[in-house]
Amino acid sequence: MKIDLFIVLAALGILVGCSGSPTETASSPSASSGKALLLASEPDGAIPVGEARQTVQSDQEVTLVGLVGGSTEPFVDGIAAFTIVDESVPYCSPDEGCPTPWDYCCKQNQVQDNIATIKIVDEAGSPIASNARDLIGVEGLSKVVVQGRATRDDAGNLSVAATKIFIRPGE
Amino acid sequence: MLLPWEYGVRNLARRPLRTALTLTALSTVVVLVLVVVGFIRGLEQTLKTSGDTSVVLVYSVSSKENIENSAIETRVPSLLGASIQSVFNRFDVVHVSPELYQGTRVESESNESGFGLVRGVTFRTPLVRRGVRLVAGTWPDDGEVMVGRLAAAKLGISDRQIAIGRTLRFEGQEWTIRGQFAADGAAYESEIWCHLADLQTAAKRQDISMAALLLAPGASPAEVALFCKERTDLELRSIRETEYYERLQKHYRPIRLLGWTIVMLVSAAGVFAGLNMMYSAVAGRVREIATLQAIGYRRRAILLSLIQEGVLLASAASLIASLVALVWIHGTAVRFTMGAFTLRIDSVAILIGGCVGTLLGILGAMPPALRALRSPVAVSLKAN
Repeated sequence: MKIDLFIVLAALGILVGCSGSPTETASSPSASSGKALLLASEPDGAIPVGEARQTVQSDQEVTLVGLVGGSTEPFVDGIAAFTIVDESVPYCSPDEGCPTPWDYCCKQNQVQDNIATIKIVDEAGSPIASNARDLIGVEGLSKVVVQGRATRDDAGNLSVAATKIFIRPGE
Repeated sequence: MLLPWEYGVRNLARRPLRTALTLTALSTVVVLVLVVVGFIRGLEQTLKTSGDTSVVLVYSVSSKENIENSAIETRVPSLLGASIQSVFNRFDVVHVSPELYQGTRVESESNESGFGLVRGVTFRTPLVRRGVRLVAGTWPDDGEVMVGRLAAAKLGISDRQIAIGRTLRFEGQEWTIRGQFAADGAAYESEIWCHLADLQTAAKRQDISMAALLLAPGASPAEVALFCKERTDLELRSIRETEYYERLQKHYRPIRLLGWTIVMLVSAAGVFAGLNMMYSAVAGRVREIATLQAIGYRRRAILLSLIQEGVLLASAASLIASLVALVWIHGTAVRFTMGAFTLRIDSVAILIGGCVGTLLGILGAMPPALRALRSPVAVSLKAN
């Protein structure tokens, strides 16, 4: 009888031990609708990305303005995150025929100091597991104003956990 | 009424030289088809098996899709391990493998040399590269290397030159071969592996090419991609290993298309050769065909009998060709830019070879038979 109990407990132990839950780093998009994140009107006091990289501290609430871009693929696949670049950094004009003007291919050296990563987070602060393009309908070179909490690291990188976003119409 | 089955079979034996020549020609065509299909299948298989869905490669954003050109800071693997929760961690060992990967000229003891692929690895590499198995010898020590199963093919040197105990020379240094490894046909099999620190010293490099990391079960690579976006100072990009090789497959698409075109051209040439053979075979049997019609066999029955002969011959040729391909061609190592692979005569290749062979038999027999059947019986009976 004791042996039977031991076997049952061992089997349970193996089952519990083997059923590790997958790492949960992002919440599902159904929990947070993209529309709820979008602001109807543009918030005041937005600062350009380049200026924010000079002045903003970690854990500070910020309102940033910039253009979606900085690389050929500015969006993160699987998480609602993207990079934005300061409006002052020039990009290829349409008549130049560049297929990916949002990668700032001609001015990459200026991008380094004028870029920020935007993570769209839910109420709990977890990044939303969905592509930002599908979630809020932004594209490369869309002009966005984001509100959220900033994070800085020792290398000077700036990321913002955005809770509210405004997309300037027609841009 | 159909002609007896034995009639067609006996006809083949009536002209043994012609039958043997046709059989040889058809077998050659099918062997050629099998070689080309084996090449395509081998290349596809190598790129398909070279990749683990749980492995993510992190490398330099400026190197585009050429990891050989990538250079990232040596601190990146430890940063990845410390910052990303979704990296697999067991007994406090974070499964991140820093690797230096480069192409370099490799010379054997007998001064044979070729362009080889060398990977500087650490003891954590086998934790991430889970398909790699040591098949002979031991893990290399300082100043030693272990070689992949197809390294000799990649270098274009004989297998004896990469036997355990022999030495190789690259990056101005001599390296003793201590082990041999296999990787289920993956691209690593054509590589030479040594200690990362040794390769960095020999190549006078302080950076690494990439960090390969193993994701925890069920984890998404998105967290790694987000890390790369956030750490803009490190200029990194990430890609799932399987996706990396899928992109390479697209890169090699023109070669595969060319391969399939060759299959079609060879098959077409085979059909014409078959047609030629069958034309001459049927041309000498005009009176026989007319006689069969005169004694009451319908044209359709005679046509079927001639096709039966062609298919019998082509099927025998396909079997011979498959046997030849399986014994002498399957497993032959072939070099290509990113390594080496073996020609693969698998079930798909045999099926394609068999279908091409059978088609040769049908298409080769039909036109001459139809032509012979079209002439009036009275005229054909008087033919010389």
